[in-house]
Amino acid sequence: MSDPLSKAATAAEIARAVAGGKVTASAVVAAALQRIEAAEPTVNAFTDIVAERARKRAAEIDGGRHRGPLMGVPFAVKNLFDIEGLPTRAGSKINVDGPRAKRDGALVRQLEAAGAILLGGLNMGEYAYDFTGENAHYGPSRNPHDPTRMTGGSSGGSGAAVASGQVPLALGSDTNGSIRVPSSLCGLFGLKPTYGRLSRAGSFPFVDAFDHLGPLARSAEDLALSFDAMQGWDPADPACTDRDPEPTLPSLRDGIDGLRIAIAGDYFAKGGEPEAFEAVATVAKALNATRTVVLPQAAVARSAAYVITAIEGAQLHLPRLKTRPQDFDPDTRERFMAGALLPGAWYVKAQRFRRQYRANVLKVFDEADIVLAPATPCRAPKIGQVMMKLAGVDLPVRANLGLFTQPISFIGLPVVAVPTRKAGAMPIGVQVIARPYHEQAALRVAAHLEKEGVCVSTPP
Amino acid sequence: MADEKPDIARWVDEEAKAIGLPIAPEYRANVILNVERSLAIAQPLLAVELDDELTPAPVFRP
Repeated sequence: MSDPLSKAATAAEIARAVAGGKVTASAVVAAALQRIEAAEPTVNAFTDIVAERARKRAAEIDGGRHRGPLMGVPFAVKNLFDIEGLPTRAGSKINVDGPRAKRDGALVRQLEAAGAILLGGLNMGEYAYDFTGENAHYGPSRNPHDPTRMTGGSSGGSGAAVASGQVPLALGSDTNGSIRVPSSLCGLFGLKPTYGRLSRAGSFPFVDAFDHLGPLARSAEDLALSFDAMQGWDPADPACTDRDPEPTLPSLRDGIDGLRIAIAGDYFAKGGEPEAFEAVATVAKALNATRTVVLPQAAVARSAAYVITAIEGAQLHLPRLKTRPQDFDPDTRERFMAGALLPGAWYVKAQRFRRQYRANVLKVFDEADIVLAPATPCRAPKIGQVMMKLAGVDLPVRANLGLFTQPISFIGLPVVAVPTRKAGAMPIGVQVIARPYHEQAALRVAAHLEKEGVCVSTPP
Repeated sequence: MADEKPDIARWVDEEAKAIGLPIAPEYRANVILNVERSLAIAQPLLAVELDDELTPAPVFRP
């Protein structure tokens, strides 16, 4: 067990220590603020720090209020989540001129209701149209395991803040891979829940059809703890499910007995660097998974996800593209502009295909409870790197870090990204994919891999 | 569009004019590049054939 005041402490360890009176929430917050001050010049994870608010909340907890499963746990959120009194940047300069949030986003409120303490807003790629964690306005978030390398994005600050040990828990968003890509490149556990499982109320949108919110952490238990605290129907998000919450923590340690685990072949077994497939093989071996399944037409799914993203995202930002193009990040501006010029027929075809793909992929889950796939096609590229070689082909970094994540979020399947790391190398993750609403199965697999020492996340 | 290569520069200029999106000269080359990339990435979708009966999954609930 880690010292609850150290950078290695998990959310669960901190909550137990605070609940047991071994440490005060105020001391936890003070230690986290010190770590943030020390690490920020290197990792550039935070854009907003709410120190006074956090100290006040901690004092209230120490006074006996806000008791809950996350009591005293410091956390931070991608800056597309509303934080009361602050503009919701969503990685942009333009939004800073907009209104200040009147209240916190729904998931921030739910985590705080469970006793957690918000420390601030985190850096991200502009308007979430990003897989790199770079940002022209606020600077790139930097990978704590090697600050010359990308965190991945768009939840780059979320990856950097948790991997560096500034906080044990962060929230991100994932439209095409923006939780799973930084989890992979920063060596973290990340949960992209089923589409509609968690409320998106009080967060800045990107592509409504695929937008998901979820946690990044250094343990499977912390994902389960925070996920359970955030579940529940919210009429303020029209896509939010009215299913009853299904707590994952009680069965987290049940192991993998009874789970049929398969490896995604075909599309997911090519087009990446060898390390991506080695990571899958390592995890598969630890799970005794030998069977391969094919998610039919995954390449078309990736193509369709790209088209829907480009067109929906551009449509959302078209008024700003017309009036304030100079205020966009140059790395997103021309991609958004291009998206505004793509034919509507492509969009509708992509949506029609999506229904067919969903039906065919769900048939795969008749034969397997869990499917394993690479999270990213390579380890973290260098910051500023524009092109990369994947399986011998030169490709743009921005469009291709999410090659393996896009066909999964396209139909809203729940995924836990789990970290692997070879000695002397940067981390790389694996997607543990379950059928809709079975986050519990993916989290059980992640917890098993962690217990076996196959997937471990440690701050540098 | 499978046989004849589309004139992307013209596509960008005409479509931008049609939707009232001014594209400054310094952005134009990159917009053209990104439409080219989009066209390449969209190919698998554009090539697939769908049954007429296949409609998008309805999500709107009145």
